[in-house]
Amino acid sequence: MSGFNFINPFGVREDPGSFVGDRYTDNFSRKARRDTIVLNLGPQHPSTHGVLRILVEMEGEYILRAEPVLGYLHRMHEKMAEVKTPWQFIPNMGRVDYLHPISWNWAYVGAVERLAGIEVPERAEYLRIISCELNRIASHLMWWGAFVMDLGGVTPILYAFEEREKINDILQIVTGSRLTLSYFRFGGVSTDIDDRFERLTREFIPYLRERLKMYKALVTDNIIFRRRLEGIGPMDLDLCQRYGATGPILRAAGLAYDTRRDIPYGLYDRFEFDIPCGPSNDSYGRYLLRLAEVGTSLDIIEQAIESIPDGPIKIAKAPKANYKLPAGETFFAVEGGRGQVGVHLVSDGGQCPYRIKLRAPGYSNLSLFAEAAKGTLLADAIAILGSLDLVIPEVDR
Amino acid sequence: MTSIDSLEGRFKEAGALVVCRHDFKREGLVLSALIPANALTELAEGLKGDGYTLLDVSILHAKEGFLVTYHFDSFKEPGRLALRVLAQGDQPAVPSLAPIFDGAEWHEREGRDFYGVAFLGNPNPMPLILPEDFQGDPPLRKAPAALASITALGLFGKPQILDAAWWENLTNPVKDGD
Repeated sequence: MSGFNFINPFGVREDPGSFVGDRYTDNFSRKARRDTIVLNLGPQHPSTHGVLRILVEMEGEYILRAEPVLGYLHRMHEKMAEVKTPWQFIPNMGRVDYLHPISWNWAYVGAVERLAGIEVPERAEYLRIISCELNRIASHLMWWGAFVMDLGGVTPILYAFEEREKINDILQIVTGSRLTLSYFRFGGVSTDIDDRFERLTREFIPYLRERLKMYKALVTDNIIFRRRLEGIGPMDLDLCQRYGATGPILRAAGLAYDTRRDIPYGLYDRFEFDIPCGPSNDSYGRYLLRLAEVGTSLDIIEQAIESIPDGPIKIAKAPKANYKLPAGETFFAVEGGRGQVGVHLVSDGGQCPYRIKLRAPGYSNLSLFAEAAKGTLLADAIAILGSLDLVIPEVDR
Repeated sequence: MTSIDSLEGRFKEAGALVVCRHDFKREGLVLSALIPANALTELAEGLKGDGYTLLDVSILHAKEGFLVTYHFDSFKEPGRLALRVLAQGDQPAVPSLAPIFDGAEWHEREGRDFYGVAFLGNPNPMPLILPEDFQGDPPLRKAPAALASITALGLFGKPQILDAAWWENLTNPVKDGD
């Protein structure tokens, strides 16, 4: 790349043959009008959650065009899968999405189990559901705090962390870690729960229900907060379909599509729970929907912890370290905190999987940002970005 | 509501080379079809009209070329489908689905980064995940012995082979000078 020039402060190219910024900026600014400013949001902007970069063309405070630039957190998980045995790859799944790692545990372990025809003991299925839902709540709460912070309210994230620490205390008993959880094993889970786990979980459910009321009083009904979100960034079903958006974005758009209900896996069909849907497809609707989903997860955990059966937590002949997958292909999907998490696994019967493709919900959800941000104020675009609940390591994989 | 039978019929009409029904519990797919590249756009448009969305684009590097798999799911009637296109030759290329499913733009750019498959008509064919100044060939499996044959990977379950001559050539390619 010869002749590297810093983009001039107004994004105007003096000479059409010159090269401005890096290749993305150069390409992006070639389509820019002469009276606009091309800006980079990130890759270190504090309100972009991790290392996301977005190029925007601004006319005053309004965004004319936006283009996310990815790859700053790419760790080639898919390539790693080709040189790791199925066992060795499990820890990677705790690291794709650091807020809801249990969903990735499940997607990968589930894909291997489906392909190999492994059945999971009933108790392990319950433990999977309890851990996955606890982790989903932690993910949603973390989003809640970070989102409100994006909009200028710094205090709520401290409350969110308080709940999140409680969940981490619970999950640490069985997983041994607080961030990159690797709890699932082929044919079951790694550790059984103890009395303390049960007690803390039982205590946590009524505690969080009370706290959710405080969240409503503190943030949800705050008029400044509502004005920042109501009517901002509408995303309808057509947009979701064109971009493959799933999870809370799709459900806020009015469609009660949830992998747990629509493509059942595990024992979710044994529990009674609502799939919250709506109330509106703007940023405020997505906010309300995620808080409602915390309630759904609490309902599931409450039923599961009351009815958990005794028995083994792993099948007797669970695959060992030298396990070889049978040849074939499978696509297994679970509902993660951000949408449908999918693992496309192809095996040639060898030591390592032949190919693994990870379908990250955040990737599809972020891809609609350029269209959703068109014509909005920069401050509103930050609200829209926050309402997508992005985890960049998952987007970049 | 679109039944799987009518979709299978539509795939066959469009000139599918191989069509298969799958065991959903094991393979996570209801129906898949290997189609010629020129039938892709029209079939994708049809699926969009029936309420399907594009989940992802997964590329498989095999001995015969690059097998591009498009996974679709319907929000109305969940049941995953796969359309597959085999891109062969020195400059593998398939048509872009970005004009139909906008989300395809990113999936295709990622596919081009890692597999070097060109998606003709992609509105923004820039690198996406790899660095902008990445030099050299895509990070593929280098050793020919490390490549599996797509017919040996068990991708097709019990296939209905609709173009027997094509399939025969795929499994036992006629080499130049034989």
